[in-house]
Amino acid sequence: MDHFKERSTRDYFQKKLYTMEELFKRENRCIYEEPAFCHAACPLGLDAKKLAFFIEKGAFSDARAMLEHITPFPMILAYGCDAPCEKACRMNEVGEGINIRGLERAAMYHGSPKGGKGLFKFKKKQKAAVFGSDLFSLFLAGELARKSYPTSFYVNQKDAISLLKDCAPFLLKDDLVNEAKRLENMDIKILYSSNLTKEFFESEKDNFDIIATSRSFLDMCFPNDIPNKETLLAPISNILSSQDSNPSVLQSIFDARRAGVSVDRISQGLDPASSRGEEGSRESRLYTNMNEAIPSNQIYEPENGYITKEAIEEASRCIQCKCEECIKHCVFLQDTGKYPKKLTREIFNNVDIIMGDHMMNKTINSCSLCGQCTVTCPNGYDMAEICLDARENMVSTTKMALAYHEFALLDMLFSNNEAFLSKPQVGYEKCKYVFFPGCQAGAIAPDAVFKAYVDLSKRLDGGVGLINGCCGAIAKWAGRTAIYEECEEQLKNEINKLGNPLIIAACPTCKKTLEEMLKIEVKGIWDVLNEIGLPKGALEYDRPLIMHDSCSARGDSDMQASIRKLTNSLGCTLKDVPYNGDMSECCGYGGLVSYVNKELASKMAQSCTKDEDVPFISYCMACRDRFAREKRESMHVLELVYAAPAGNPPDISKKRKNRLSLKRKLLEEIWKEEVIVINPEYKIVISEDVAKILDERMILEEDVYSVIEAYHEDGSAVYDEIDGTLTSSLRKGNVTFWLKFKKDEPDVYIILGAYSHRMKVRVRYE
Amino acid sequence: MTDNKVYYTVETGDNLICQKCGIPLVKTEAVFEYLNNSFPVELPACPKCGFVYVPEDLALGKVLSVEKVLEDK
Ligand code: SF4
Ligand code: SF4
Ligand code: SF4
Ligand SMILES: [Zn+2]
Repeated sequence: MDHFKERSTRDYFQKKLYTMEELFKRENRCIYEEPAFCHAACPLGLDAKKLAFFIEKGAFSDARAMLEHITPFPMILAYGCDAPCEKACRMNEVGEGINIRGLERAAMYHGSPKGGKGLFKFKKKQKAAVFGSDLFSLFLAGELARKSYPTSFYVNQKDAISLLKDCAPFLLKDDLVNEAKRLENMDIKILYSSNLTKEFFESEKDNFDIIATSRSFLDMCFPNDIPNKETLLAPISNILSSQDSNPSVLQSIFDARRAGVSVDRISQGLDPASSRGEEGSRESRLYTNMNEAIPSNQIYEPENGYITKEAIEEASRCIQCKCEECIKHCVFLQDTGKYPKKLTREIFNNVDIIMGDHMMNKTINSCSLCGQCTVTCPNGYDMAEICLDARENMVSTTKMALAYHEFALLDMLFSNNEAFLSKPQVGYEKCKYVFFPGCQAGAIAPDAVFKAYVDLSKRLDGGVGLINGCCGAIAKWAGRTAIYEECEEQLKNEINKLGNPLIIAACPTCKKTLEEMLKIEVKGIWDVLNEIGLPKGALEYDRPLIMHDSCSARGDSDMQASIRKLTNSLGCTLKDVPYNGDMSECCGYGGLVSYVNKELASKMAQSCTKDEDVPFISYCMACRDRFAREKRESMHVLELVYAAPAGNPPDISKKRKNRLSLKRKLLEEIWKEEVIVINPEYKIVISEDVAKILDERMILEEDVYSVIEAYHEDGSAVYDEIDGTLTSSLRKGNVTFWLKFKKDEPDVYIILGAYSHRMKVRVRYE
Repeated sequence: MTDNKVYYTVETGDNLICQKCGIPLVKTEAVFEYLNNSFPVELPACPKCGFVYVPEDLALGKVLSVEKVLEDK
């Protein structure tokens, strides 16, 4: 079949996953990378979240380095800032906000300065002068020195201590001394005891390319020359000074920072007013869920600051604001270790790769397409759409290997061929209804399906047909559009033959898929049962249960309510859990994860059933099966309704046999058709241990029979003289199956082991 | 791949007999092919009928890992 032709690594087809615009539109929904609220509020851009992170770890020197990077005089900032970050802190909502300035002070006290002067920097050509002392001029002098402008600082104070005392009177004595030392260590020529008159200014100014002054000095020399708000340049004199005549500490520091940017632009001959980059505080688009934040109050800060222990304690109150709403509840995202925005970009790039390793293929195929993230994300991020688009794209460009989904696709074809059944009710040609149990129901709980059909056909008027097969979801999830379309044609044809009856589905995924495919309304069997009542003999269940809503029922409140009505009439008490309804997690079947990434699918099922000793009830056979495979007590609601417990979860071979025997039973008992079964003339013995290996390695009993059949006919095998075993093989489709066995009596084969590979092997003829 | 490098060799003990021809398998030049790539190897095979034997540890080890790499190329 053409659908199962392996790709070639030598074919190159290329199709963009999205245009850049389409990509950005998706990526921008994820605000994971947004700054924390405190960080966004700081006009200087200090990342208080990171500061708290360092301090909580006891990394005071790293914290100190952040502050020294952000401003020339961190202690003045730590004491004098009016701290918009603290006002923006989200902890205010559940107690007291973080004492960020207290943490800044602690960083300065307990951290050591980073050693080394860094790279030797060349002095810039333009010379700068700063006249007069206020916070603005002090900080600008510091900024200019850091930017390597030869800077002269004219002040009337006699020394650094008095200069700092005048500028920052709020500093404690020790801090004053320290900041004075810091100033003296800077590469600034400070001219103390200068006579700051206008005449002096006029006599000096021509020696410099850049001139800044304290605001009072500007007012004295150029009374009506008000600096521009953004560039801090006074239009008449071209002097840089603070815009406000009485600015706050933070405003002075911020203005000095921006004046520094203006200086850079002017000295490069650029317009200081344009292309300045992002400046100042902003609103963060971040979302942080405060439900889990533990309310707390600030740790008291003594007058001389926190000791390290207290600072660490205060920092540990910071909840490190972030958005991980989707990740918290999705095992797949946790497993990738990435957030959707990043993941989306990597998937986009992966799809684009022509030659080279497509490292994200397994990831793309490991999302269960369950849609939970779209509900948990404050912006409705839709990872399922992206992963499915990527699968379809890569299938269409032959970049996606068949190996990922071939087993599931062949299983779907099995459901729609060998095991397929489509019949009108006996005595009818056209039917009012058709029952569509879905491929998994027949594979896992064939008795329940049989009884359900008998019941519906008895109690509903107008004829109830039966279509037993796959709805096409498997092909869709695999991104195999062509197979899906074939399935669509087949089903449309059969439904048409039955007189376009109303479809009664027994699986939420079938219901959803068929509704999308056929653009008609499909009913759930739960709705029908609510209308016509329970059949005789339905099992009552008196232990409490947890309802696991299927991911295909997400957003379908009618379906969720209807199923609860049904379990209610069965006498079930449902235990309330936070993660069901629209928030339900996926069992690991969705999106074919269980075929691609078994370990992850297991984790998904375990996550759905965590911490609960209560049995699970579901209305999707796949959920029922996945939980049972993880050894959790679980049942499908139809097992109760039709008193048909399905027991232990079947392995892959049993699932096929179940479907075949269901078909046979239906044909024989309902349609009275004789089914001829050809039994092979030999016997195959498969122990439980071997059956387990077959299941794990995705080798069907059918494949075992094929190998033995071939051996039986042609006798090709390897005989091992040491242990007396025979090993034979057969190429079936894209897989070579190997079987190790012993022949006991004539025509009895005892299977000892099996394995397979996809590569073809042959003798080399040169 | 056209070079004559042999990617893998399986030593053949003298305990492996071709069931059909009744003669021992011998180390033979063989080739694995997948997704339009091929790898020369040396595997036990029957000199008469050409039956090539791929032992389990080779299939589930080296062969599987090469398959996976090629699948994502
Ligand atoms: S919930 Fe997830 S996708 Fe949505 S913004 Fe947060 S991290 Fe991004
Ligand atoms: S809790 Fe921490 S990260 Fe969040 S706003 Fe407050 S200081 Fe910033
Ligand atoms: S669709 Fe489901 S599995 Fe995929 S990322 Fe979203 S929540 Fe996780
Ligand atoms: Zn031979």
